[in-house]
Amino acid sequence: MSQLEFTYQPPRALVQTLAALVGLGVLTWVAGLFVDPQRAWGVLLMVSFWLLSMGLAGSLFVGLQYACGAGWAVAFRRIPEAMTAAFPLGAAGLMMVFLFHPEIFPWVTHHGKAGSFHAIWLNRPFFLARAIGYFVIWFVFSAVLIRNSQRQDVDGDMRHTRRNIRASMAYMVVFSFTFALASIDWVMSLQPEWVSTIFGMYHMSGLFVSGVAMIILLMLWLKRSRPLCDFVNDEHLHDLGKLLFAFSTFWMYLYFSQYMLIWYSNMTEETVYFILRHEGVLKSMFLLNFILNWAVPFTILLPIPSKRSPRVIASMAVCVLAGRWLDLYMGIMPPITNGHVAAPWMEFGMMVGAMALFVLAFLAWFRRAPQTPVRDPLLAQSLSYHS
Amino acid sequence: MQESTHPDPLGRPPVIEAGHDYSTVTGKISDIVLRQSAPKAWFFGFGVGFLLLMLLNLSISWLFVKGIGVWGVNVPVAWGFAIVNFVWWIGIGHAGTLISAILLILHQSWRTSINRFAEAMTLFAVACAGMFPLLHLGRPYFFYWLFPYPSTYDVWPQFRSPLVWDVFAVSTYATVSLLFWFVGLLPDLATLRDRAISRPVKMIYGALAMGWRGSARHWHRYQMAYLLLGGLATPLVVSVHTVVSFDFAVGVVPGWHTTIFPPYFVAGAIFSGFAMVLTLVIPARKWYHLEDVITMRHLDNMAKVMLATGLIVAYGYFMELYTSWYSGNIFEMFTSWNRAFGPYGYIYWILIFCNILSPQVLWSSKARTNVPLLFVVSLIINVGMWMERFMIVVVSLHRDFVPGAWGMYVPTFWDFATFAGTIGLFLSLLFLFVRGLPMISISELRELAPVGRTAEGGE
Repeated sequence: MSQLEFTYQPPRALVQTLAALVGLGVLTWVAGLFVDPQRAWGVLLMVSFWLLSMGLAGSLFVGLQYACGAGWAVAFRRIPEAMTAAFPLGAAGLMMVFLFHPEIFPWVTHHGKAGSFHAIWLNRPFFLARAIGYFVIWFVFSAVLIRNSQRQDVDGDMRHTRRNIRASMAYMVVFSFTFALASIDWVMSLQPEWVSTIFGMYHMSGLFVSGVAMIILLMLWLKRSRPLCDFVNDEHLHDLGKLLFAFSTFWMYLYFSQYMLIWYSNMTEETVYFILRHEGVLKSMFLLNFILNWAVPFTILLPIPSKRSPRVIASMAVCVLAGRWLDLYMGIMPPITNGHVAAPWMEFGMMVGAMALFVLAFLAWFRRAPQTPVRDPLLAQSLSYHS
Repeated sequence: MQESTHPDPLGRPPVIEAGHDYSTVTGKISDIVLRQSAPKAWFFGFGVGFLLLMLLNLSISWLFVKGIGVWGVNVPVAWGFAIVNFVWWIGIGHAGTLISAILLILHQSWRTSINRFAEAMTLFAVACAGMFPLLHLGRPYFFYWLFPYPSTYDVWPQFRSPLVWDVFAVSTYATVSLLFWFVGLLPDLATLRDRAISRPVKMIYGALAMGWRGSARHWHRYQMAYLLLGGLATPLVVSVHTVVSFDFAVGVVPGWHTTIFPPYFVAGAIFSGFAMVLTLVIPARKWYHLEDVITMRHLDNMAKVMLATGLIVAYGYFMELYTSWYSGNIFEMFTSWNRAFGPYGYIYWILIFCNILSPQVLWSSKARTNVPLLFVVSLIINVGMWMERFMIVVVSLHRDFVPGAWGMYVPTFWDFATFAGTIGLFLSLLFLFVRGLPMISISELRELAPVGRTAEGGE
């Protein structure tokens, strides 16, 4: 069997539409730069962080499967592998913000007390060096995981799996520390006086649950449009549904822990974060965040049949992805716009552009390898298991 | 079934060694209770446990006679050993529910050989934990004031206090864990009833088995009930230690008020719980020759869970330390400094060694399959997690905001005696359990026995 029979060619019309949407996103951003530059740079930070998170969610998912010695997800592993293509795009967008409009971070113009840890940690050269360090670390680990996985397509050697298990275990540890620090740098330091120790873990849970939602949507689409129809079935969908359910609840747990502890203790230096997000329209968006990311998926996904129904689970994945955008908006934009909410044309235009860019990058990467890891020793287990 | 007894591509050891079928499994486990006399180690272990239990009796009696002054608690350190022990014991209980409930709904068949044992451990650990808040009440005879009963005095508990949430969280946890354990025991109790020789023994197990006949209808309802209880117990694993962490984190004490406490406490609880399961399972498996049903696969997996949760705990330590400096808050920075270099600095370095450094040996698969080493690491972690709670409770309290209100906490003989006494209660209950009930689930183990399966795998 040749590998070529497994490679996938996306329809040309689809690629053209996506490219047009990316163009729309770029145009929105350029227009935004003229109308309200501060906000336009803020939205660029938001969509780049989203792209980066989606890419990292792919490598995190792959890494978790290897680290746990799990075989069930092998059949569709090429989806999270290809998602990592979004990571360099997100990194590029973030670097643009850091290099060309760092004033978005208040600490760039108002320094902390000289010599304090705050002032040492949050200064531009060190901040940039850290960002580059994180990108390099994540890139190396993702590249190693994917390279070993694709080499296995040729020789089917178990050694590649073993190498990836070792690399994944290291990646899980390194990732959790680096991503936590990165989310503090890029999101939490937008309000440099505010701190929360759960922040990194909270962003990791959001990253992972939205990654699972994206995997579900891509899997259903690639199953319907043929490339994966022989490899994935309701069992995979069911288990992905369980993951979506579990990690949506995990996200809620962390969200609640942070909110409840700050609300209960009612200390001025901590409540500023929520007070900024409780004014006017933001208040209803604040509640909607909780509903989209947890209340709806939890209620709907509780019964078994809904986790096996492509229609229900796809709509829940869309719900969680919408919730993720809202969560990022609530985390990033209010400090930048001072809690002012304007007509969201800029946000929507660039979000659509970012999502189209994500799918384009995904397709470009997905067609470079057989659509399933054809010679992975665990593939047989993945094709025949029962959830 | 994902995992069965045939070798898998990753080359992990089997969850049950070859050569077992339904009758050997049943015989092996039920004979420990019904046919064999207890090994010498049992008498030794139970004896030690019983003596310590008597010490508990003595120290509680003395406490009731004299009052809380017999302990080392004072102002500002109003919470001493009692709360440290409470959190430590509750944490240990978590592994049982994690193994029995979460691994059940995740279809992890390796849980089967250890779940009964771990669930029993949970119940006994919760029993030890539950005593401390009551003993800590100045007037323990008013303990029922904690419950919201319709009182003619119109005195209600303070529902805004996490201490009241604790009452609900812990009592729910204890109830569901007990039900889960007992429901799981039913088919095995019937097995013991059917295999018992003497009539009184038959009658006791018969009464406990509640008329179990093993009919298809019984099994159907049993499976459904067991799964539902598993689903109910799952959020409890998280909620109990979350509420325990709220006891600290809702306060405005530096070192207590930090948002990462809930997930970090839960991870720490599972970490210490698995360490305790290993501490107990390793000797039990040797004394009762259970190496073929509690295999290296189990020890290896438990070691991996310990490593993973230990790393989450390390992440929690790191985040607390990092954020205290990042925030620039002098009270937070002082607390971090004081933990490491203050008068209780040695506690900090012991816990860093025990909880962060020592589990790192588990990265090596050689270490994970070295049984004596695993035993030592699990003991070290047990000690480390107790030290962690001491650091959180005492070290945060002993330096108040104003230096005039600083103090030290020096535990008395009765502090140590009460703590050692609860270990005695725990051991006594555990040894009685091992003697009188099947310590491994016979009915679930039968499902793993490689009968009717092809050697190559498949269903």
